[in-house]
Amino acid sequence: MVRLENCSRRLGPGVTFACPEFHVAPGAQTALWGPSGCGKSTMLNLISGLLRPDSGRVVVDGVDIQDLKEGQLDHFRGAHIGFVFQTFNLLAPFTALQNVLLGMRFSDTVPGREWKNRATLLLERVGLGHRLHSMPQTMSVGEQQRVAIARALANRQKLIVADEPTGSLDPKNSEAVMDLLLEMCAEEKVTLLLVTHERSIAERLPALWDCSDLVKEAAA
Amino acid sequence: MTLWRISWGYLWNRKLTTCLTVLSVALAVALISSVLTLRAETEDRFVRESQAFDVVVGAKGSPLQLVLSTVYMMDQPVGNIPIAQYKELLADDAYVQAAFPINLGDTYRGFRLVGVERKLMDHSWTDMEGAEERKPFVLDEGRYFDKPFEAVVGAMAARQTGLKIGDTFISTHGLIEMPEGAAAPEHDHAKNPYTVVGILKPSNSPFDRGIYCRLDSVWQAHGGGHGTHGAEEAGDTPDFEEWGLHPEEMVTAVLVQLQSPTQRYEFEGYINNSPMGVMAAIPINQIRNLYDKVLGWVKLVLLAVGYLVVVISALSILIGLYLSILQRRRDLAVMRALGASAYEIFGVVLIEAFWVSLLGILSGWLGGVAVTYALGQFLTYRFGLVVNAFRLSQDQIAAFFIVWIIGIFAGFLPAWQAYDRDVARDLADL
Repeated sequence: MVRLENCSRRLGPGVTFACPEFHVAPGAQTALWGPSGCGKSTMLNLISGLLRPDSGRVVVDGVDIQDLKEGQLDHFRGAHIGFVFQTFNLLAPFTALQNVLLGMRFSDTVPGREWKNRATLLLERVGLGHRLHSMPQTMSVGEQQRVAIARALANRQKLIVADEPTGSLDPKNSEAVMDLLLEMCAEEKVTLLLVTHERSIAERLPALWDCSDLVKEAAA
Repeated sequence: MTLWRISWGYLWNRKLTTCLTVLSVALAVALISSVLTLRAETEDRFVRESQAFDVVVGAKGSPLQLVLSTVYMMDQPVGNIPIAQYKELLADDAYVQAAFPINLGDTYRGFRLVGVERKLMDHSWTDMEGAEERKPFVLDEGRYFDKPFEAVVGAMAARQTGLKIGDTFISTHGLIEMPEGAAAPEHDHAKNPYTVVGILKPSNSPFDRGIYCRLDSVWQAHGGGHGTHGAEEAGDTPDFEEWGLHPEEMVTAVLVQLQSPTQRYEFEGYINNSPMGVMAAIPINQIRNLYDKVLGWVKLVLLAVGYLVVVISALSILIGLYLSILQRRRDLAVMRALGASAYEIFGVVLIEAFWVSLLGILSGWLGGVAVTYALGQFLTYRFGLVVNAFRLSQDQIAAFFIVWIIGIFAGFLPAWQAYDRDVARDLADL
C-alpha cells in the first residue's frame, strides 16, 4: 500500500530526513513511533504528498506520487488518503455534518447524491447521529475527534494517516478514540499509519516502526 | 458543499468584520448611486417641466434667472417689461400660438403670488419625454379666479400653507418666507386680502407651488405706489419709471407657446435682435446649459469622491481578507489536505471578495435610494419636482459593475496568498 525507497528531504541547514526503505501492506495498521522531532510527521507528509522528497520514491496504492503534478496530487490525496490530526482541525464555520461533507467535496470518489447519506451514516457510526448539526466549538474534544475520523473515511479512502490522534485527549477519550479508529479501519479494510510518541498507544497496533533514526544532523 | 457555500460560511463566521467591510463598500455605492440618480432625475424633471413653454420673454438680464423665476418659481425675477411688448408678441401669429403675461411680486409664506390672465389656467402642453398631455392648472375644488384678489392655490402651496376654499390671506411684498403666526412686515398689503376660491390638483410640477390671481390684483395690491416687483427689490429704480409707464402697463414676463417648437431659436434670435429692449430665453436650453456647464462639474467632483471611497473600500476588502487568510491558514491547509486544489482555495477567497462586493453594492443601492428619497422630499417641497428614487439607470449599472470589479480585484492578493501557502508548514504550525 505504501512504499518509500531511498527517500530523503532536507529539513534545514545540515538537517536531513532519510528513509532508506519503508513498506506497509494494504489493510495493515502500523504505528510510527519515536520521540518528538524524530521525523515521524515529515514521513507522514511525504507519504501524503504534502511534502515532496528531494530524492527517492514514494509509492502509495501503486502510484509514484513524484510523477503527479500539483493538481493531480491534490486530487489523489483527496481520493486516497484520509487525515486525522492531533488538534482535530474541524472547520469552525461548519457543522459536524458539513465538515464530513467537506471531506467529500474535494474528491469525486463518492457521487454527489450520496454525500449526505454517507456523511450521516458515518457520523451515526461514530456515535454522533444526534450531533449532526452541532458546531465544532459546542462539541467535546472526544466528539470532535470522532467527527474527524468520520471525515477521514468519507471518501472510502484506502489509507488513513493519523498524526498523534490522541495527543489532545484525556486518557478516557484517548482510549475510546483509539478503539473507534482501529475498529473502523478494520471494518472498512483501510490501511492505517498512526504517528505517536506514546509507546502505550503505539503498542495497540499490530505493527510498530521505530522512527528514531530518520533525521540526521551533519557534523559541524 | 459548493465553493460558494464554503466562502459564505467563512464570511458568516466573522460577521462583524464582514459587515464593516460591506458597510464601507455600501457607503461608496450609496454616494455614487444617489449622485447619479439625483443628477439624472432632477435634470430629467427640469427638462420636462421646461417644455411647458417654448420661450420666456422678460427684461434684459440673466436668461437663466428669467427662466428659473418664471417657469420654476425659483430665484428673483429679472425685472419688468411694458405690457405693450406682450401685445406686440401676441399679434405676431407667424410665430406665436399663445402668450401668457405674468406678474410676480408678492408671496404668502414663501409661496409666490402669480398674476396671470384667466387663459393660462387652460394651458396644456405635450410632454415630449412621456408623450403625455400635461395640464398643470386643473381645479381640484372651487373655481378659477374671476375678480381681483381672488386666488387659486397650487396643490403644494395649499398643503403647506393649509389654505382652504373661503380662507383669506394677506400677501407679503417680495420673496420672504414667513413662519406661521409671525408679524407681517410694514408694507404688507393688509388693505387688500386675497380670498381663496380654488385649489388646483397636484401636477408634480413647479406650478404646484404657485398662488394664482388676476394680473390686476398684483397691480392693485401695490396701489400704484411701487409697481410690480422687479429690480426694485435690489434697490434699483422701479421699471415703470425707467420706461416712463404706469405700473398697470408693466408685466414681469411673457410665457410664449410657439406655433412649433422648431421655431424656438429663430424666435429667440428675432426677439433678442429686435429694438424692443427685451430678452427671450428658451427654458430647455437654459436648463441644459445649467446642467452641462455648472452642475456637470459638481457631479464630477461628487463622483470622484465616490470612487475614492470605492478605492478605500477595496483596500478594506483587501486588508480584511488578507488578515482573514493569516488567521485561517490552518483551515486552508486542512482543506488542501482534504484534497482541495490550490485553485479551489484561490477561488474560495476570491468568492468572498465577490460576496462582499455584491452585498456592498446591493445595500449601497438601497442606501442610495433612501438618501435620494429623503432629498427628493426636500426637492418636492422646495421646487415642486418629484424625484423617482428607485431609478436604475445605465450609468448606475455601469458604476456598480466597476465597483464590483474593483472589489473582486481587491481579493486577488489575499487569494494568491492563500494559493501559494506551504501546506505542510501551516499544518506543522498548528
